[in-house]
Amino acid sequence: MADGTKKISRRQFLKASATAVVSLAVVGSAAYYLRDKSSVKKTGIVRPPGSIKEDDFLYACIKCGLCVQICPVNAIKLADWSSNLSYGTPYIDANIQACDFSCDAIQCAETCPTGAINFKIFKSAGDKAFEELREKFNGNIPANVNAFGFQILAMRKVADMGIAKITDKEMCLAYHGKGYEGPLGQHHALLRPPGSKERIDIAETMVKREVCDLCVVYCPLGNEAIELKETGNGKYLPEVKEGCVGCGVCQMLCPTQPKAIVIEPEEELV
Amino acid sequence: MSFIFDFLTGDKKLNPLPAKKKDELPNAKLGISFKQWQEQNPNKHKWRNIRWAFLIFINLLFVASFHLSWGVLEGSLSGSRLLGIYLMDPFNSAQELIIGSKTGFISHLTTNFWIGFFVILTFYWLLGGRAFCSWVCPYHFFAEMGERIHDYILKKRKIREKTYDITVKYVFWTGFLIVAFLTQQLVFENLNPVGILSRAMIYGPGLALIWVVLLLAYEIFGIKRFWCRYVCPIGVTYSFVGDLSPMSVKFELDKCGHCRDCQDVCLVPHELWFVKKGAATKEVHFTGGDCTKCGLCIDVCYGNALSFGLKDWKTNRWGYQIATKMLGSQTKNK
Repeated sequence: MADGTKKISRRQFLKASATAVVSLAVVGSAAYYLRDKSSVKKTGIVRPPGSIKEDDFLYACIKCGLCVQICPVNAIKLADWSSNLSYGTPYIDANIQACDFSCDAIQCAETCPTGAINFKIFKSAGDKAFEELREKFNGNIPANVNAFGFQILAMRKVADMGIAKITDKEMCLAYHGKGYEGPLGQHHALLRPPGSKERIDIAETMVKREVCDLCVVYCPLGNEAIELKETGNGKYLPEVKEGCVGCGVCQMLCPTQPKAIVIEPEEELV
Repeated sequence: MSFIFDFLTGDKKLNPLPAKKKDELPNAKLGISFKQWQEQNPNKHKWRNIRWAFLIFINLLFVASFHLSWGVLEGSLSGSRLLGIYLMDPFNSAQELIIGSKTGFISHLTTNFWIGFFVILTFYWLLGGRAFCSWVCPYHFFAEMGERIHDYILKKRKIREKTYDITVKYVFWTGFLIVAFLTQQLVFENLNPVGILSRAMIYGPGLALIWVVLLLAYEIFGIKRFWCRYVCPIGVTYSFVGDLSPMSVKFELDKCGHCRDCQDVCLVPHELWFVKKGAATKEVHFTGGDCTKCGLCIDVCYGNALSFGLKDWKTNRWGYQIATKMLGSQTKNK
């Protein structure tokens, strides 16, 4: 009798284990199959600034959402099943709300508990900028020089999210020499213009430009990232340069539909 | 796998004490019948109410911390920050460590990750491992309701409950780690109803809730507490620390009337194996790692034979012994 029950329980255990192993194999192969399909490389959106490369990001991100909570402009969202991304991972959709760096110290990277959004690169960039500034003034930075501003700019420059690309120059208003008059954005979103201390709501801010250059004027990285080039006959076209980090402000502000300038995630992230 | 189980329930291997005679039962000592004794001590819902209130409070605290910017308990149940101290989900961390050791990411993990990992393990070691399940886990709350519906349906249809070998959860635990290692993804997190529910509450609902609803439906109409009992590796991780915990549910044989009502309400009845007449091997028993410290058995017990108690360092498992030895001889002198 005792042996009989033992046999049954062993058989039951083996049966349950077999079910477990089969279901795990199914789940594992599904995850493996969906891995590249749901990679951010194939969609038009980016990871938060300082995210490590996608292959590592998929397991390093613990999906807690602390980056979502700290972002002052609510740029970061967590992926759901519907968003064609690895479930629960954070992303920035620049069409809705771009990262405008108005938190200054890249707080999503600072708050990330696992280092999936890597704060070390920002810290070393900031420290390096401070050291360079000190050397420039022979060890004593005068009080009227904003050392913090230098650090912030250096930190922004290493935030490799992607790169802006002109999708279709025929769409660009400046290419036809046209100006733009109206709200800065078609929907409510936050932006801190360069040199300003206050955030503005782009839907409630009216702008008027002789030649549309919104992507150039509001770029948080300035002239090192994007410049308006004349192509002749009063026609212009923005030119994306090396300094672009892919924050997506240009995409958010571009008044054309579809957008003439969009962010593409970089193949080799930091 | 069963050797692990034997080890975790080591008391079971001892020779059972002689069964109580009729005049040794608690009601006989008071000179009343068993039924009268039960009626004298009606059911309370003290611990259940405290626990549900706490569970709802914690989960609402997550929501309020984000939406009202309280900043008390930020993040979600997969990783959070309580007043500045990071807390990490132990199974997520385990997956991350095992993948990280392969890819080298382990050296890039932040100090906050390690703090969060060890703080949560220490915390639940002190308070009894799977206490997380019944006191914090939002899925448990719904599953507990589902369990009642399940029991009701079975009673109506007069079907006997089918049980399966619970050691299969160790297969799942190992399997999920292997799958994570092979695919280099936190595979379990895609299926984790705890994380999905927590994120849905805090960041707004999504399609992933379909999975949670399916699971609940399966638990109600299919296998009782399927996920919590046979699969959930988070619970298994907590049960490892819980088994070494200094705190657990204490059972005193002399106050027990062997009515086994506690096993009926228990969410993990195998942990109360010693309440059966003639099964106890010691005068005082403690529940093991699978016990969620929910307190339902304490509420139902007529003779107060069950209570939350501290384990005696001499007679219980080595996790506590090591800890008490490290803490010094204070406990010894008592």
